[in-house]
Amino acid sequence: MTTQAPVLDTNKSHSEQPKHYLNCSSGFWSWASTLDHKRIGIMYLIGTGLAFLAGGLFALLVRLHLWQPDGMLFSNDQYNQIFTLHGAFMVFLFVIPAIPGSLGNMVLPLMLGAKDVALPRLNLLSFYLWLSGAVLAALAIAMGGFDTGWTFYAPYSLYTNKAVVTIGLAIFMLGFSSIFTGLNFIVTTHKLRAPGLTWFRMPLFVWALYATSLLQVLATPVLGITILLVAFERLYNIGIFDPRLGGDPVLFEHFFWFYSHPAVYIMVLPAFGIISELVSVHSRKPLFGYKLIAFSSLAIAIISFLVWGHHMFTSGQSTYAMFAFSFLTFFVAIPTAIKEFSWVATIWKGSIALNSPMLYTLAFLIIFAIGGLTGVILGSLNVDLHLHDTYFVVAHFHYVMMGSIALAFFAGLHHWWPKMFGVMYNETLAKIACLVIFVGFNATFIPQFIMGSQGMPRRYATYVPEFQPYHSASTMGAMVLGSGVALMVFYLVASLLTGKKAMQNQWGGVTLDWHTPTPPPLENFAHAPKVTTEVYDYSTLDLKSTQTPIG
Amino acid sequence: MILPTSFPPRIEETPVLAHLIQDPAKAVNAIARAKPPELDEYGQLPKLASTFDHVDGLFYFTYAVCIFFFVLILGVLLFSVVKYRRKTFDQPAASNTTHNTPLEVVWTVIPLIIVMVMFAWGFKGCLDMTTVPQAASQNTYKATAAQWNWTFTYPNHPEKSRGAVWLEVNKPVQFLLESEDVLHAFYIPSMRVKRDVIPGRFQTVWFTPTQLGDFHLFCAEYCGDSHSLMYAQVHVVTAEEFAKAPWYTFDDSTPAKAAASGMSIYKAQCSACHSVNGIGGAAPSWAGDKGLFRKDGDKVVGRERQVVEGGATKTVVADEAYIRESIRMPLAKLVADYATKANMNAFGPDKLNDRELNAVIEYMKTLAK
Repeated sequence: MTTQAPVLDTNKSHSEQPKHYLNCSSGFWSWASTLDHKRIGIMYLIGTGLAFLAGGLFALLVRLHLWQPDGMLFSNDQYNQIFTLHGAFMVFLFVIPAIPGSLGNMVLPLMLGAKDVALPRLNLLSFYLWLSGAVLAALAIAMGGFDTGWTFYAPYSLYTNKAVVTIGLAIFMLGFSSIFTGLNFIVTTHKLRAPGLTWFRMPLFVWALYATSLLQVLATPVLGITILLVAFERLYNIGIFDPRLGGDPVLFEHFFWFYSHPAVYIMVLPAFGIISELVSVHSRKPLFGYKLIAFSSLAIAIISFLVWGHHMFTSGQSTYAMFAFSFLTFFVAIPTAIKEFSWVATIWKGSIALNSPMLYTLAFLIIFAIGGLTGVILGSLNVDLHLHDTYFVVAHFHYVMMGSIALAFFAGLHHWWPKMFGVMYNETLAKIACLVIFVGFNATFIPQFIMGSQGMPRRYATYVPEFQPYHSASTMGAMVLGSGVALMVFYLVASLLTGKKAMQNQWGGVTLDWHTPTPPPLENFAHAPKVTTEVYDYSTLDLKSTQTPIG
Repeated sequence: MILPTSFPPRIEETPVLAHLIQDPAKAVNAIARAKPPELDEYGQLPKLASTFDHVDGLFYFTYAVCIFFFVLILGVLLFSVVKYRRKTFDQPAASNTTHNTPLEVVWTVIPLIIVMVMFAWGFKGCLDMTTVPQAASQNTYKATAAQWNWTFTYPNHPEKSRGAVWLEVNKPVQFLLESEDVLHAFYIPSMRVKRDVIPGRFQTVWFTPTQLGDFHLFCAEYCGDSHSLMYAQVHVVTAEEFAKAPWYTFDDSTPAKAAASGMSIYKAQCSACHSVNGIGGAAPSWAGDKGLFRKDGDKVVGRERQVVEGGATKTVVADEAYIRESIRMPLAKLVADYATKANMNAFGPDKLNDRELNAVIEYMKTLAK
């Protein structure tokens, strides 16, 4: 008995600073071997964040090079490697894993009222597979780089003397990482929902992650097989894609896009989820058309498997295949449009707080409207025959990938940052950075729409001089965009050192993630929470106690 | 301080960066280019010079619809943000509506109708672009894509052209596309046509050029190192001018003109393997210490070189007879250093007739030092 007293005392002196997942243990090994979804989320955040910064640096080099028609910095070969690195890093190391890996890992169990994901060890394995993929990608650069474009089109990817097999192996591993994360989230959503949390009480971020996970599990194996076939073809000349051995390069395109079109939705659906969440919380209003949004996520997940051919309208597939693919492409525009309309309708008559997560959300809504609508222009068969493989496509793609997905990621990061770290960043700087990013982004890509419609082909290290004004404007825009991102990284990192303490419910949310302490304890909830109200019911919010900033 | 004369400044005017230009000979502006196409009245697409005006019609229709929806979304968004901005921290939403079925039906059905119109319009246009009329199929060119150049074969003329193609105005034309190596894409923005060029199969495009002038032809599918330099000019000319076959410029009336014609043939058919700078690559160089001809006083004579003939190494003089034999029968005598990697195809009279062969030899002689 006597020995117990001092132990209790020690606990007491420590409990002035409550134990949470960040300080419950320390040291490298406690992170490297952690099974905690929140710590794995943080590791994903750091990893994918660094990949994003590297990919962004490559993008700035590409833009700088294109300041002059003859190219300013690199030989053609160097340029080809750099745009390939930009694409491969951004797509495989950042856009696909970033939201599910970092924010999804962090928030999904909290939203479900669970202790952790269903399979914590698999979760850690996912992260290590991602890390191995990243290391292999870096190794591929050291082994001579790769210059195939992120699409690895055969037969060029079979003939080039670069490190294609190494980067292929990297992507193969990243694919498994993605599959395991998806599997984990599906099981978690089915099995670990808190009592009372019915399917239609789940926050829409959970719905979006669920739809994403289905796509990851079903589509990614096709990419893995395709990459393996390319590797075998390079190593053993088996003749699947190489026309010199009786193979068919168009078959590669079919395989590749059978994954990579659903992959576009693997990337964008989590972003939709974040935006659904944030629009509701920062408008303090139930999400308009909840069920329609949830079902549209599933509809997109299904239809997205059937539109891959629209990447190949110029590849000589049969007219009837083009008929079907164009029809379905227009069809998939509808659930996407429904989402956009529903978000705007949610903001209508809300109580709108213009804080930084909401500013990023508004920037998303504007940019995604442009990204989605220009997709409709590209869906028309005969117009696509003109615009395919031009900067119009590049700009459309970036309006969706960078302008929409990365901005949604930033929005979510700002939204859950106080929950993740228990500190608040500098709101003024955050608002300035959001504005700079928004302006820089549009200045970068609007000129690309114009020159694309005039016929500027993509992946050009040099170009005809009449496009120079647009390229130069785009380059200047990219520099503005780059400085906005740099500012964002600066104040986010600074907040960890000097940030004010965040409140438990910083923004006045009603989903379960805001019912845990900030930062959450190791096991998230002291008692298993019980859900008795409908989702996004702000009448339950104790307005006096949240002191939510009005922005 | 020198102020730049253009904005952005040209590289020559940017001293810090001037040394970074890798290979001035490869610079974009060293290639003959068509003038920039005029823009249409909207300042958007390059001026249409073909039959496919439905591309622009649908583009502008879709564009207008997009602008309408964008302005609508932006308007509602900005209005809401201004009107319903949270003024006190505990302000609840002005309404808690969670759905409105008629409204949701409206914004599902109306966009669906609009996109179905676009779909039908686009598909009809696509059928026009892929159904080759008889007039076009009777005027079939062949465009051969290789890393990184275009070669054009004409329907009624034996000579090919490289890096430029001549078309007759208002005459429907079909291109049969073939690739010798990797994927390429045949893209003429002013004609609104694009088609991937795929090794191992033929692809076709057709159109009717409706305007005289010079137009860009780009490779639009990434094909490796010099993808962006894989360019050709499209010259649309009148029937009279076309009849003169302006792409056929062979002239051997004087030795100097023959050498110049020989040089164009060299650039088109030999330069991928044979260099003229003395550095051997895939094949022996034509110039330098191991080249073909040397100067002896003011005479040009063949150099001696080691060759392998029937397994035995011997020395021959690289004169006209040797060169002719090596072009017509490349494996007869192999240059010693290249005996194990010889892979040159025979150039028979169908590929290179006797006058052309003599012109090439004339050009080789100008390389003598």
